[in-house]
Amino acid sequence: MSTPAAPAAAPPPLDVRGVTVRFAGLLALDDVSFTVAPGTVHAVIGPNGAGKSTCFNVLSGLYRPSAGTVRLGAAELTRLAPHRIAALGVARTFQNIVTTQGTVADNLMLGRHALSHAGFAASALRLPRALREQRAHLAKAREIAELIGLGAHFDSPVALLSYGDRKRVELARALCLEPRVLLLDEPVAGMNAAERTRMTGVIEEIRAELGLSVVLVEHDMGLVMRLADEVTVLDFGRAIAHGTPDEVRRDPEVLRAYLGTAGAGEDAA
Amino acid sequence: MSDPRTLLLKRGPLLLVALLLCALPFYLDAFWLRIGLFSMAAAIGAVGLGLLSGTAGQLSLGHAFFLAVGAYGYVWLAGEPGPGLPPAVALVLAVLLAGAAGGLFSPVAGRVKGIYLGVATLALVFLGHHVLLTADSVTGGFNGRSVPPLELGGFTFAESDPELTVLGVPFGAEERLWYLGLVLFAVTWFTARGLLRGRPGRALVALRDSETAASVMGVHVARYRSAAFVVSSMYAGLAGALLALSFRRVVPDYFSLALSVDYLAMIVIGGLGSVAGATAGAVFVTALPLLMTRYADQLPLVATPGSGGGSIGPTEASRYLYGAAIVLILLFAPDGLHGLARRTRARLSRRPSVTGPHGSGPSPAPERAGSDAASDTPARAKEHTP
Repeated sequence: MSTPAAPAAAPPPLDVRGVTVRFAGLLALDDVSFTVAPGTVHAVIGPNGAGKSTCFNVLSGLYRPSAGTVRLGAAELTRLAPHRIAALGVARTFQNIVTTQGTVADNLMLGRHALSHAGFAASALRLPRALREQRAHLAKAREIAELIGLGAHFDSPVALLSYGDRKRVELARALCLEPRVLLLDEPVAGMNAAERTRMTGVIEEIRAELGLSVVLVEHDMGLVMRLADEVTVLDFGRAIAHGTPDEVRRDPEVLRAYLGTAGAGEDAA
Repeated sequence: MSDPRTLLLKRGPLLLVALLLCALPFYLDAFWLRIGLFSMAAAIGAVGLGLLSGTAGQLSLGHAFFLAVGAYGYVWLAGEPGPGLPPAVALVLAVLLAGAAGGLFSPVAGRVKGIYLGVATLALVFLGHHVLLTADSVTGGFNGRSVPPLELGGFTFAESDPELTVLGVPFGAEERLWYLGLVLFAVTWFTARGLLRGRPGRALVALRDSETAASVMGVHVARYRSAAFVVSSMYAGLAGALLALSFRRVVPDYFSLALSVDYLAMIVIGGLGSVAGATAGAVFVTALPLLMTRYADQLPLVATPGSGGGSIGPTEASRYLYGAAIVLILLFAPDGLHGLARRTRARLSRRPSVTGPHGSGPSPAPERAGSDAASDTPARAKEHTP
């Protein structure tokens, strides 16, 4: 029941055109454009304060840009409220973990919200339809938890989990939405080496199995170089370079943005 | 999971309590039954407020207003002057009316958040009180109105008509209303728990914990906030109607700001975000003043009603006591009576599983989760050292 096989079909391209965001005189994003090709991993990198998170907030509908458009296939995301964007299959994680109270299961079931229908009346009266729906989605959520390696913690309160596990709860919750586009905001920030390797493996696996597009903001250049098909570099709100990881790594403009002379690529290699 | 024995173990205590509650009218006199009735009505209202303030994180000081809408709605719809509808219909309509009143407020309730909503709803109480005092033709003004008894298929929830004696116990108004209260409370318990465990409950919890996370996960923020407000108002309306039936007279002064604060006290004392907690808090806050009044002469420092001596009266004394109870609970059990009960239960069920052969017994998921987390720590520490 209600498992729209969205991930199987190729996701539509995500097209960002001339997006500008102004915060009372501060130009957070200045005419930024890039396109996320279907089924690829597109990294957005840049120094702190370059506008990466602002860009994500525009993509997920939390900020409305003062100019420019974001399109997912035919739908224009810039006109939509966050919950409508979620319903179109755009899911995201947050840089600082944002989970809700309760167990891992509760959090993952929140991810199923947009895919389920039981309203106040149906849930209050515990109509068979609502109970059946809940059971089906719970099974699906468990499946996803197992895919991410959270199976053993499914019924544990999120508050008791380690930092790395909570990061993974966020990823699993986003996946529960059965997204066509997945926005990952610093998925390995604050993790130790072992957790990083594991998370990188998980992201690679997701992408291979589900065929969704991934937009990735990350400071860990090793991860970016390993996962990304394409990279957009932001600096002071402007997109200063586009290209494959190798091209970007050699771009003089990028080298200048990162510490003036020291290169981003060498930094990680 | 669903084999009959575990089901009985899970449902057993609930069934036992239900049986006990059904048996009580045969043993208790009208005074105790009245306390029970008020407690049940308060519990229904508290569950509604708990849904809004505990689960969705929206403060409301306007609960008294919606209780008044339910109470006066029933009286007017069933009474004279008024359309004089059959009382059962009037009861249902009164609940819907309270919901509609909540819906009218939803442009505010959907947009205003947390404590700010508390301030906005404050206005409702004053507005409501003013209307109750001035709209004489509907509300009876300062003196209020008497409440027409509920009738259901020829059966009247009052002293007589029909005269009724069950197992040698004469069934007066209190006994009859007791069962009505039980049924209405059971409905509340069933629906509220269904809501909380279902999709809407999770969405409301998410709204409380992080509006941003809720919205990017697909929750329509304004709609869910309004819906929580409407549902909470409907429970308040039901509670108001039941209160009216138990009091047999409604007066405006009852529905004051203090009543709203009482309901907030109930859900804080009981423990935010749980139906059982709201119920426990409601019983505590409702029963305490009544019991203190009754047994005032046996308490030190408390004057008997009407004696007017230098010491404090029973009503004030009970206020002090429940003020003290709130402070104690906030200090020692910030998650309220419900949290206290849960932790006690966890401690009791952990002990046998450590010591004895009972271990494989009835210690289900939550217990396991706790020990899981504890035993996981060393394993994770290993992971931290690369």
